[in-house]
Amino acid sequence: MVNIEDLRNEARRILKEGKVKYVIGYAKNQNGLMPVPVFVKDPEDVEKLIWDPTCIHNLAKFLSDEKKRKSKEKKPDERPVGIVVKGCDSRAIVVLLQEKYINRDDVHILGISCEGSGVIDEKKLAKTLKGKKAESVDLDEKGDFVVSTKDGKIKVPAEELSAERCLECRANYPVIYDILLGDKTRKKVDAPFQSLDKMESMTEEERWAFWQEQISKCIRCYACRSVCPMCYCDECVVDTINFAVTADTSADEKAGRIKWIEKSPVPSENFVYHLVRAIHLAGRCIDCAECERVCPLDIPLRFLNKKLEKEAKELFGYDAGFDPDEPSLVSSFKDEDPEDFIR
Amino acid sequence: MDKILSKKAFSQWVKMLQSFRIYAPLRDDDIWTYEVVKLPEHIDLDFLTTALSPKKIIFPQKEVFLEFRKTNEDAPEIKEVLPEEDPTIIFGVRPCDAKALTLTDKVFGGDFDDIYYWKRRNHTILVGLACNTPPSPNCFCLSVDGSPHSTDGLDILMTDLGDRYYVESLSKKGDELLNLGKSLFTQPKSTDKKDKDKIQAESRKKIKRQIKDLKKVPPKLMGMWGSPFWDEEAMSCLRCGICTYMCPTCHCFDINDEILSRAPLKGRRVRTWDNCQFPDFTMHSSGHNPRPDKSSRLRQRIMHKFQYFVECYQDYQCTGCGRCISKCPVGIDIIEVLEKVRDYGS
Amino acid sequence: MDHNTYLPRLAKIIHIKEEVSGTRPIKTFRAQFLQENGFSYRCGQCAMLSVFGKGESMISISSSPLVNDYLQFSILKMGRVTSALHEMQVDDIIGIRGPYGNSFPIEKWKGKNLIFIGGGIGLAPIWSVLNTALGKKQDYGKLTLFYGARTSNDLVFKEELEELRQDLTVHLSIDVEEPEWNDYVGFVPLNVLDKKPSPKNAISITCGPPIMIKFVIQNLQALGFKDEQIFTTVENKMKCGIGKCGRCNIGLHYVCKDGPVYSWAELKNLPQEY
Repeated sequence: MVNIEDLRNEARRILKEGKVKYVIGYAKNQNGLMPVPVFVKDPEDVEKLIWDPTCIHNLAKFLSDEKKRKSKEKKPDERPVGIVVKGCDSRAIVVLLQEKYINRDDVHILGISCEGSGVIDEKKLAKTLKGKKAESVDLDEKGDFVVSTKDGKIKVPAEELSAERCLECRANYPVIYDILLGDKTRKKVDAPFQSLDKMESMTEEERWAFWQEQISKCIRCYACRSVCPMCYCDECVVDTINFAVTADTSADEKAGRIKWIEKSPVPSENFVYHLVRAIHLAGRCIDCAECERVCPLDIPLRFLNKKLEKEAKELFGYDAGFDPDEPSLVSSFKDEDPEDFIR
Repeated sequence: MDKILSKKAFSQWVKMLQSFRIYAPLRDDDIWTYEVVKLPEHIDLDFLTTALSPKKIIFPQKEVFLEFRKTNEDAPEIKEVLPEEDPTIIFGVRPCDAKALTLTDKVFGGDFDDIYYWKRRNHTILVGLACNTPPSPNCFCLSVDGSPHSTDGLDILMTDLGDRYYVESLSKKGDELLNLGKSLFTQPKSTDKKDKDKIQAESRKKIKRQIKDLKKVPPKLMGMWGSPFWDEEAMSCLRCGICTYMCPTCHCFDINDEILSRAPLKGRRVRTWDNCQFPDFTMHSSGHNPRPDKSSRLRQRIMHKFQYFVECYQDYQCTGCGRCISKCPVGIDIIEVLEKVRDYGS
Repeated sequence: MDHNTYLPRLAKIIHIKEEVSGTRPIKTFRAQFLQENGFSYRCGQCAMLSVFGKGESMISISSSPLVNDYLQFSILKMGRVTSALHEMQVDDIIGIRGPYGNSFPIEKWKGKNLIFIGGGIGLAPIWSVLNTALGKKQDYGKLTLFYGARTSNDLVFKEELEELRQDLTVHLSIDVEEPEWNDYVGFVPLNVLDKKPSPKNAISITCGPPIMIKFVIQNLQALGFKDEQIFTTVENKMKCGIGKCGRCNIGLHYVCKDGPVYSWAELKNLPQEY
């Protein structure tokens, strides 16, 4: 079991000792069930930090914000930041380390185990409560979720409320950490890619029709990209909303820049955006499923990335985000890699 | 004029309106969106807040302004592409979304009329549905001079009385629609009006979230432009663009030329929604960006809605629909931000 | 409500002059509408120029409204649309829509001394008001021009500048010493401080790089100019040109509609976000 005071004590210690600039963690939302990210600078404020099965956000995203902020400062504070991570989130940090985007001493990792139960899926919770409002969700010793409402508590087995990705999770506790809270429970996963079965059992025509309908809903708000810790490029290939222009960029460079897709949110352009993004995440996506969670139109984006995760595993035996010393999939090769597609 | 329409007769009324293009909220799993209705029976007015407001029907996310073509050495030809003037009805418009259209009307009118907006707007009839219960846990229309049964911007307001609707026509267009279904409507009895008034009064009490003294915010904001307050509020912002795209009052857009063929040149000039929260919304061609960071962009959003717009039009540029609160991936809550502004420095 | 302001009118380029060559080239274009319908505008206003297939760019009209035959634009090659304009030849067709924005309040300046201060391409937006004042010289007091650029190559309207010396006091400057340069060497704001124009019954109009404007305003204030006597034009990224798309919004204003002309007294009260 995770004792929240252990987390707060560690946070208090590293802040008091000046070891970190601030600690990124989860705090209670004044309005509603789901927590909000918090940036604790003052050791007195560590009481704000919470931990429970509603802590679904992947806070690793804020590490690239921190890096970009530092790069703009003349004399940046070089101390690391503290960050609270779950198993999945820690894999994102490993990928950032593999890609040398951040250094190990840029982060002080406060790892927390979900102890095999994972975190909740908001929609599943809403369906279970049928209109009642949840005030909190806790984990009991048996690994079940205890949902508190005004009318009392309901106990639900974790598998019924947890996010789909938690059912297939292979990193139930952080793979990298400076301190680890909670038990190193490893849940056995027989079929790690079974959520893809539904998609893979469709014919090509059915899949195309399915995605046509889903992708036409997209309004190109870019929330999926904005929330992904691995989408840290200053200039995104498929879009001009982050165009890295400086005073030295020549007019010809700006004039000659290729516009790969138009701004119009029509299926043809939306497809290119989503597919290119998925391909750029092949071997890097660690299935935190934040992209799917934040989508305001409920597009099931996780399927796209999960499929490529499966390909990476089946073709190259590669699992993203486990070993910081391992090179990233797309920047390395082994002699035994398949070559039958090379003609 | 006020009428009563039994719920059973509702789809019959809609059948009589087949000469119009009809939009209503349709459900896809957990998301409601306004779509064209093929069968009147599909209209179910028991819906929660839609993902996007009906603004997208009058001000679509993409529309073509003109087409251009150049063959050989001749001068390019341009062809204006105006919206089709299809008479349209939107059913199930929430009062907050209708009020939002009166605010976008102010922006798209003024010194220069936006012909594309008005051609659609003038051919659209808005049939509202009063919110007997708040469709979102984050509704706060009462705090921004709105109400769950406000008639601002609507041609008809329907209030659900259980087995029947109390139907108020508010304009000539509304009268026209009621006349098309004349036989289905009955005169309201005095008990009907009492029921309606009671339901509407109770609906106000059900709105849980309020901002006290919002009118203190606009003058407060004026002194907060350089404050570090915005850095702290924007710390967790992902600069995604959900809040602005979901907002029924936001109107920023982009105009781009899309090329369909290079030689001979063929293409079109297209307007698409744009977003002041995107990093290079304000970036100059030189690379200079007046709003280079999240905190200046969040500040812009709040100040535009609750200070600049208020000074220009004496209305908050917000109708309290709560979409930005419900959908923000990191829980940035505009009500909390405004309360902090109101209390800042005290 | 039948006029579609987003629809450009076709115009033919009748004259192109290369003002500045090199890595930051500037060309002056003169354009005539294909169909005569009139296009009346006031000094300081801008127009949206279209290059079909590339996009639009908001450029200030540098010809004086006293000239009826053409519209003149001086354009620095900066990005996609301006690069396409720089590749055009005489007789090529562009689109023009406008005029947009406010204008210099020249009626209020009758009888006053006008001091024009420009830097680099910044001379173009004030060129129209300068030439209008020249065209109605009897209505105004003493006319003075301060103009400078990085090098002598970067000066625009080079030939016209020499002719101007007959009609008004011209103080040119370049940033760094060059052989055969007889005028001031140094930044424009310092040239202004050096020549000490009098604020008495005077209006000053300045335009140029933001940093230059900042120091010109400081130096004019040091010389005794009040904020209401200092005018400038503001630049911001624009798309619609009519105060609807939100891009150029500063405070209560849209620069395309409520600007680009501002007195410093007005501008200092707006958020400095441009």
